[in-house]
Amino acid sequence: MCIFCGDFIANVHWTEFKEDATSEIIVGDLQRSRQQSRIERVQFINKILVLYQLKLTEWNGSKFILSDLKGNTSIIHDLGTLWAEVEKLNGYAIDPLSADVMEKITIAN
Amino acid sequence: MPSRKKAITILTGSLGSGKTTLLQSLLTHHQLTENIAIIVNEFGKIGLDHHLLRQAEEKTTLLQGGCICCHAREDLEEELKNLLFSSEQGEIDFDRIIIETTGLADPAPILFTIMTNPLLQHRFVVDGIITTVDAKNGAMQIKNHEETVKQISAADIVALTKVDIVTTEELDLICAEIIRINPTCKIFHVENGNVNPSILNVERKLYNNRLPSNYQLPPYNNTSHIHSISFAFLQPLNWNSFGVWLSLLLYAKGENILRVKGMLNVGEAGPIILNGVQHIIHPPIHLSEWPENTKVSHIVFIMKDIPPTLLHQSLFSFQTFLGTEINLLHVHCI
Repeated sequence: MCIFCGDFIANVHWTEFKEDATSEIIVGDLQRSRQQSRIERVQFINKILVLYQLKLTEWNGSKFILSDLKGNTSIIHDLGTLWAEVEKLNGYAIDPLSADVMEKITIAN
Repeated sequence: MPSRKKAITILTGSLGSGKTTLLQSLLTHHQLTENIAIIVNEFGKIGLDHHLLRQAEEKTTLLQGGCICCHAREDLEEELKNLLFSSEQGEIDFDRIIIETTGLADPAPILFTIMTNPLLQHRFVVDGIITTVDAKNGAMQIKNHEETVKQISAADIVALTKVDIVTTEELDLICAEIIRINPTCKIFHVENGNVNPSILNVERKLYNNRLPSNYQLPPYNNTSHIHSISFAFLQPLNWNSFGVWLSLLLYAKGENILRVKGMLNVGEAGPIILNGVQHIIHPPIHLSEWPENTKVSHIVFIMKDIPPTLLHQSLFSFQTFLGTEINLLHVHCI
């Protein structure tokens, strides 16, 4: 359960499994590296989203906020829900196999 | 700390490929040390005499907006909960559940059900998928039935049945065909239905001693729909950016990515084992050290209706983003 928004979180997205799935993590463990990797992930995502004039920001180590230039925002829990929300705001899905996306990414890099 | 989750093995395979015979042989094997519960979709002609046998009528809940792999199997959910509650109450005791599917079943919704259900995901772990392939008729089934290809691509282990009635040439041919579809699976030969219970212990480590070379992408073959393509990563991969790229790919094309399996160097002491079927990715396993003789970070994709050139180009365009250099290992068309 997310204490900020009362959201029931049933699944941990596969990108957020940091250690061996069999080991147990005590509350408060690995907070710094978790936060670092959340911020780093946001930076990577924004390298893609900037091409679509969208932006993602990290929010309190709990959620992410996706916004567009018109001021529309959306709360994102993890990478599992991000791309569907991007599709909603954008009007179409980003396909990493499309020639347009590949060209944009190559130029951006 | 060892996992307290109970293991689940999914047993799948075409009609008549020997699933029930394999199960029968397994349950009566004198070396079997585990206590096993069984869930079957249908009681076959060869009756299974087992005290922990449950039947589940295939019942699928269609989830809004989801593809076929994201459908929940209500029947299984119910049976797994029943077995769990009986075990909690001390009525029965088991270490592993084997789910025998129907010949036409797609294993992906079963994985989805177990891995996303709020209760089941904490009490069970899908240990492995075993697909039975008939050595005599397998080649024909691969050619004519898409389900067979899907079942092979999802497999961790392929149990090649009826090997006693085929010639060595036929056997080599079917083995090569299976490896072409799924280069990551391990093949077990089943003679007269006899199989060693070690088939249930899926080795999660993925070995690849093949070193990156200057392999060139072959011309795109329009006639084949299924391709497997492997890449090697020459430097440690940035796990965060790779997660972004793969999650985006699976969102856009998950239905057509039949399987993803890899052993990735992310700059830690050991590699990460990545294993996924369509949209569903198992929790990645972080190994504490590299398996012997394996130092190559690599990934295999099995895809339907996606030209390998596109995936190749996409990985190359995202190369700087991923922070590594990518080398193509091989491509197979089926």
